[in-house]
Amino acid sequence: MAEKQRVNVNFFAPSTDGMKAETSVAKIIIFFWFILSYGIPAFIWIAGLSDPNGLGESFITNARFMGFPLHYWLIAQGCTLGYLILCKLYCVLWDMKITALRKS
Amino acid sequence: MIRCSVILFSTTLLLMLSGVVAFGAAGEEIYQVEQGFKLVPAIIMVALLCIYIGVGFLSKVSSTSGYWVAGQGVGKLGNGAAIASDWMSAASFMGVAGLLYLKGWFGLGYIIGWTGGYVLLLCLIAAQIRRFGKYTIPEFLGDRFNSHGVRLIAAGVTVIIAITYSTAQFKGIGLICGWIFGMDYTASVFFAAGVVCTYMLISGMSGVTRNQQIQYVVLISAFLIPLWVLLRKAGGTGILPQIEYGNIISNLMEGQTAAGQLDPEATLALKNTYLPWGNGDFYHFIALVFTLMVGTAGLPHIMIRFYTVKNEDVARRSVLWGLFFIGLLYWSSPVYAAMGQFWNPAGGKAVADVIILSAPERAGLGNAFIGYLASGALAAGLSTVAGLLIAGASAIAHDWYATVYRPGCSDRRALLIGRIFTAVLCGVVVLFALNPPALIAQIVAMAFAIAGNTIFPAVVLGIWYSRSNKYGALAGMLFGLGMTLLAMFGWMAKISMFSDGGILPATSSALIVCPLAFLINILVSNAMDKNLDDESVERGDNILRKLHNLPGYVEESEIKVKKTIAL
Repeated sequence: MAEKQRVNVNFFAPSTDGMKAETSVAKIIIFFWFILSYGIPAFIWIAGLSDPNGLGESFITNARFMGFPLHYWLIAQGCTLGYLILCKLYCVLWDMKITALRKS
Repeated sequence: MIRCSVILFSTTLLLMLSGVVAFGAAGEEIYQVEQGFKLVPAIIMVALLCIYIGVGFLSKVSSTSGYWVAGQGVGKLGNGAAIASDWMSAASFMGVAGLLYLKGWFGLGYIIGWTGGYVLLLCLIAAQIRRFGKYTIPEFLGDRFNSHGVRLIAAGVTVIIAITYSTAQFKGIGLICGWIFGMDYTASVFFAAGVVCTYMLISGMSGVTRNQQIQYVVLISAFLIPLWVLLRKAGGTGILPQIEYGNIISNLMEGQTAAGQLDPEATLALKNTYLPWGNGDFYHFIALVFTLMVGTAGLPHIMIRFYTVKNEDVARRSVLWGLFFIGLLYWSSPVYAAMGQFWNPAGGKAVADVIILSAPERAGLGNAFIGYLASGALAAGLSTVAGLLIAGASAIAHDWYATVYRPGCSDRRALLIGRIFTAVLCGVVVLFALNPPALIAQIVAMAFAIAGNTIFPAVVLGIWYSRSNKYGALAGMLFGLGMTLLAMFGWMAKISMFSDGGILPATSSALIVCPLAFLINILVSNAMDKNLDDESVERGDNILRKLHNLPGYVEESEIKVKKTIAL
């Protein structure tokens, strides 16, 4: 007797159109999530490498945005705002790709 | 029912009485705020508690599905508010402000960690978990991997998370009760435990869900309203405190506080606090952020919220609303920290966890405002403890007792066991809370490390990698749990490797442990693939069909029927 076909699910190699659409949306959002979460701290870190005291003082910490030191605002508010936009974008992309696919 | 009432009554009485005779020295933070009994805050708090318990009485439940997941009929706004209310604990109310006060810019890692995790949750888990549509995370893992071992480890992890997380909440609740009633810390922890137990045992989760929406409103208003007055007292216009405090931060970096210009040495110390690496390096920041994110996405009591919504569309949108409601709080907690620095720049660790009370006190805000704020913090702690203890008790009652130990027991019996273990867990938490090992937010971060190192890899691979099997899941989860507990005990034993600045801090262990847990799961799964029995393959595949809307899904009960016939 032939072995029963096993289900194949892999985030990086989706096997059906539905899964392809779902993972493509997730990958886009996770890419931007990565940039926000680790790219911004890495940028602050690289910019501050020249600080002889090793505390990360740089043009970013000296710049001001809405009264805030820029490095402070970026993490305290910029990232949170970014995550909120990403969640909204996820819902929008889902409606565009997956909901449309299901209807068709 | 009579037995239940006896358990409820005796537990409550015991905890309340213990509060009267308790003594101890932990919780020195209480001595940093005004001492003595405060009438107005006490009235506000008692009124609030009456509302909670009143709502609990109005929504008593008798069936198990009502107790665990409140029926599946909660909308996106309601579920978003419930997510936020579950989330907004004493840690985010008092602990984050405390850490930001103590660690300045570095503390902001807690804010991005605890908000960014929702993006991961949304992308990888939320909709699929809703499609699965059962009660608990251990149930999901146990069914997907067809293993009681996986189910029991997941249940054990859920209980450990509930205990660790609740310990932090109890520290917060205890400090608040201590401030209002003028009790010492130990007495107020016992007093708070009595309140939590009564509330939990009476209402069950239907009451909790409804309450959590009311609690969110109370909580966020309590957190935001005092800010307007505080900002005005600090010289701002008080129109939009979340934006206005930027100037105060910039001035603090130049040494300008309520007491005037600080001396050069104190100015430098304050400036360093707000520079990126004044209180920790790049590695520790990234490790903390990563741990909190995977922990957020792996927390059973947050995931369980997605079972309670109407459909997966609502599940997705409720993450958006949940994050919005949480964002409101996290845009505001740094303001309290900045206000703390402005009025009391040299308070240090002793004042950190009570900074949201201490800063308004020093600013002369008045007991009515601070009382409302304190009641909000209490609400935050209460609602989180409610969600956690339910998740912990349901892991024991549903996943161990009713599934493994006594399959086929009646709903009434499972409910009774659930209530008993709610009380037992509460007792265990009180013991830990009497001598808390770290700051509120740090204890919570440890709970996140457990979730991120054990539940998150198993759930993500369970959903997105069909070759992952019970052997891989068991190996990965045991490794994750073992390493996290090692780091936690290492922290408590003050071993430098597991401390704040070590290579594997208990609060930030996931950057190293979580990817390894993923790797172990994948490697062991592939190595053991040939040994996997047909039933596990069939059940795992069947659940994957349901999670990904693939054709060929059959109801679990039908699989069992077919097997009986074949036998």
